[in-house]
Amino acid sequence: MSEYSVVGKRIPRTDSVPRVTGEAKYSADLSLPGMLYAKVLRSPYAHAKILNIDTSKAERLPGVRAIITGKDAIPYKWGVFAYTRDMQLLPSDKVRYFGEEVAAVAAIDEDIAREALDLIQVDFEPLPWVLDAEEALLEGAPQIHQDKPGNISVRIFVDEGEVDRALEESYLVQEDRFSSPEENYCQLEPYAVLANFDSTGLDIWCPNAGPHMKARPLSNALGIPTSEVRVRKITIGGHGGGRSEVSPADFMAALLSRKARRPVKLVYTREENFNCVRQVHAATTHSRVGVDREGRITAVDMKVIMDGGAYASTGPIAASVAYIMIEEAYKFANFRYEAIRAYTNKPPRGMYPHHPRTAYGGLELQLDVLAEKLGMDPLELRIKNAVYEGYVTPTKTVITSCAEVETMIKAAEKAGWKEKRGALPPGRGIGMGVGSVISGFPMGIRGGSGAFVRFNEDGDATVISGVVDNGQGNDSMIAQIAAEELGLSVDKIKVVTADTSMTPADQGAYSQASTVMSGGAVKAAAADAKNQLLQVAAEMLEANPKDLVARDGRIYAKGSPDRFLDIAKVARTALSRDHAILGRGDRWPSADAKREWVKNPRGQVASAFSFGTAVAEVEVDRETGRVKLLNMVAAHDCGYPINPLAVEQQIQRSALEAGPEGTLLEKHAWTANGQNLNANFLDYWFPLSTDVPNIDPIIVTSNDPFGPFGAKEGGLSISVAMVGAVANAVQNAIGVTPKQLPITPEVVLRLLEEKEKQSEAKS
Amino acid sequence: MNKIPVSLNVNGREENLEIPPHKTLLEVIRDDLNLTGTKCGCEDGTCGTCTVLLDGAAVRSCLLLAAEVQGHEIVTIEGLADGERLHPVQQAIVNHGGVQCGFCTPGMILSAKALLDKQPSPTESVVRQAISGNLCRCTGYTKIVESIMALSGQPVSS
Repeated sequence: MSEYSVVGKRIPRTDSVPRVTGEAKYSADLSLPGMLYAKVLRSPYAHAKILNIDTSKAERLPGVRAIITGKDAIPYKWGVFAYTRDMQLLPSDKVRYFGEEVAAVAAIDEDIAREALDLIQVDFEPLPWVLDAEEALLEGAPQIHQDKPGNISVRIFVDEGEVDRALEESYLVQEDRFSSPEENYCQLEPYAVLANFDSTGLDIWCPNAGPHMKARPLSNALGIPTSEVRVRKITIGGHGGGRSEVSPADFMAALLSRKARRPVKLVYTREENFNCVRQVHAATTHSRVGVDREGRITAVDMKVIMDGGAYASTGPIAASVAYIMIEEAYKFANFRYEAIRAYTNKPPRGMYPHHPRTAYGGLELQLDVLAEKLGMDPLELRIKNAVYEGYVTPTKTVITSCAEVETMIKAAEKAGWKEKRGALPPGRGIGMGVGSVISGFPMGIRGGSGAFVRFNEDGDATVISGVVDNGQGNDSMIAQIAAEELGLSVDKIKVVTADTSMTPADQGAYSQASTVMSGGAVKAAAADAKNQLLQVAAEMLEANPKDLVARDGRIYAKGSPDRFLDIAKVARTALSRDHAILGRGDRWPSADAKREWVKNPRGQVASAFSFGTAVAEVEVDRETGRVKLLNMVAAHDCGYPINPLAVEQQIQRSALEAGPEGTLLEKHAWTANGQNLNANFLDYWFPLSTDVPNIDPIIVTSNDPFGPFGAKEGGLSISVAMVGAVANAVQNAIGVTPKQLPITPEVVLRLLEEKEKQSEAKS
Repeated sequence: MNKIPVSLNVNGREENLEIPPHKTLLEVIRDDLNLTGTKCGCEDGTCGTCTVLLDGAAVRSCLLLAAEVQGHEIVTIEGLADGERLHPVQQAIVNHGGVQCGFCTPGMILSAKALLDKQPSPTESVVRQAISGNLCRCTGYTKIVESIMALSGQPVSS
């Protein structure tokens, strides 16, 4: 690590200070002169035709400045893909879930806007509804979209090798069905938008996972050029996958502003942020896994039914991630995977790292059952089935840098696996899980990131990149990368990011792409600027630019540490010679552009792959069913840590998301008419500081050939791995396989009861 | 709507306001005083992002009416730093990486300050209890706890 002077150093993130002083501005903190406040009228039915909307009374309320309904929008259906365009950002024909947008009001204050909602009269014709994915797929189920027969939103099917034969010839086959309800993203910042539509176009501030990915659909929905939609830089209070797409809130605020010719702010309530943004898929998984006598996986046959809610959202990707991550985590030749994402009359579901949790969590539980039947240590079984550099997955992706086995060994060592497994007192258990995630998948013409670097006359540099920071530290990450490449310290780097009015296009914070793609583009732009600078310095030093290096704010002649120039002086000299130093760079995924989620699920899927292993230790209270987390260890192969502190943060964030949140606590519940029963923090079990132990992060390196300085994504594999770890720890503690996630006290008590009945029947 | 005169002491400054009687302390802090460092995450007292200090104790400003806290000393996140010098809790959170998206951070820092002012050397379980009303989605709480424990001088469990 000593070859670098800035990257690889553990430093406080450069964005930290404004966030601890309260000066960082989030969307809801903004205001503009003459700003109006918006509120949204929402559907009281899970499924209904909109027959008529009468806004006349509301319009007469003093203080109301604009009201919009679906009739104010141009006929446009939005979708992530051309074949998934199924969502009007403000519906005109019918509503498809309880809480969907029907109309919106902008008024001079929130109280008046709220009062106006009561004065809008809507005639609905309620329609039959369906709330369960498997029921939605039955013949005769209510049809949610006219052009989607059978309520099939997306079907993904891969069938590689000879699955049936391999299972028949396997020494052991484990077959189970796992199920789980929806989870919620629970970003701490409720969704909020400020929109200002004037004669020059739209300025909009909102939480986003890629400003350029908002600008395009908004320009389509508003019928204006993309260049006139300016998604602006703003501090963002979390994403987690749930802010990947354009939101109806963005569109409504923009349309209200266009109509009122005033700035409009729309701030969602916590209930709206639970219900009306995105949720995480509910799912069932039917999984068969075969192994040979030595514990090698022979085949996996998995069928997943996902409850996608009312719209397609990122459905084709969401329905694919499970198989992609499974085939990259373990080596086996025969793989059949079918995922059907069904439409239901529930809020739409988006991207999430470990969805469906039944797929990864289920498979990990099954591997432990098989290990026990074989008399093998689950760690040994996993090491035996680990992938490696150069491995080719069943769907023909070549794994590049890979330190999967090292993550297994290091996590096990740190957690005391060998000493504890099988030796814990009754009621205690220890479990392991493994995960792999991709960085940078093909996204066509929107899959790349661009960056500029300019030198200022005082020798500081400004980096201009489309990368977005949702809280994970991307701004700090690119500052460190640019500083290293330019030979400056981090405090000499200013960043301008995530603003479609001035930054180059960027693929967004999807597929864990920011470090490899956006970071890679910044590194290339910085190298370009540095080369221009070295050219000038070479003339000044009468040296060959190839013999110069930039480091610690100076340009040195290699091998002669006393021959140097200050970078600031070189930058000023360049200007005096009529040369403004402007670097440019871009980065595109090294993935197979022909690979397509539904039609062609074969070929190189991504540019880099990261791996992780988690170990968890639990104690189960047999009286209350409560599972207490005693220890959580997580080792992640991040390629190379640009900032070890930030990588540890991502590992710990992922561990929380997968362990206590995804495996033990979080789920939604519904009334029979489709109303969400726990859209608040009292009834939705969000883990508190007292619910978790300190999470022990271990950084593993593998020097990736594609990522900048060898770096890959920084911690998300643990968001998959920790599901298996915690579920297996519970399985180890109680001796029964939990088939339902999350493993709430109710689930534990039922499992213990069943176990007791079975042992009574035997005796 | 009827307005009433209310005087508040916020960050050591007397603020004389005319506000509707139903306005919460959170709304007044954010909308009338423009101190937007205090966040609104739920409006029902369950998330802790609106935490402020009331006579040194951590309270949720969304659950209090502005009119009922007259005569008390209120401190928001903007009242902590001394010019450009951060308060020790703020500095510890920066140094130890206890901040990510930052939305929980102001409330978290004020809960920690309220604890440390009363009890300078708390154990880890006391720290976890003191911040258990402040939800955080980013950190797994680990680096926040480590930041506060660095000030307490007590050991952190591994």
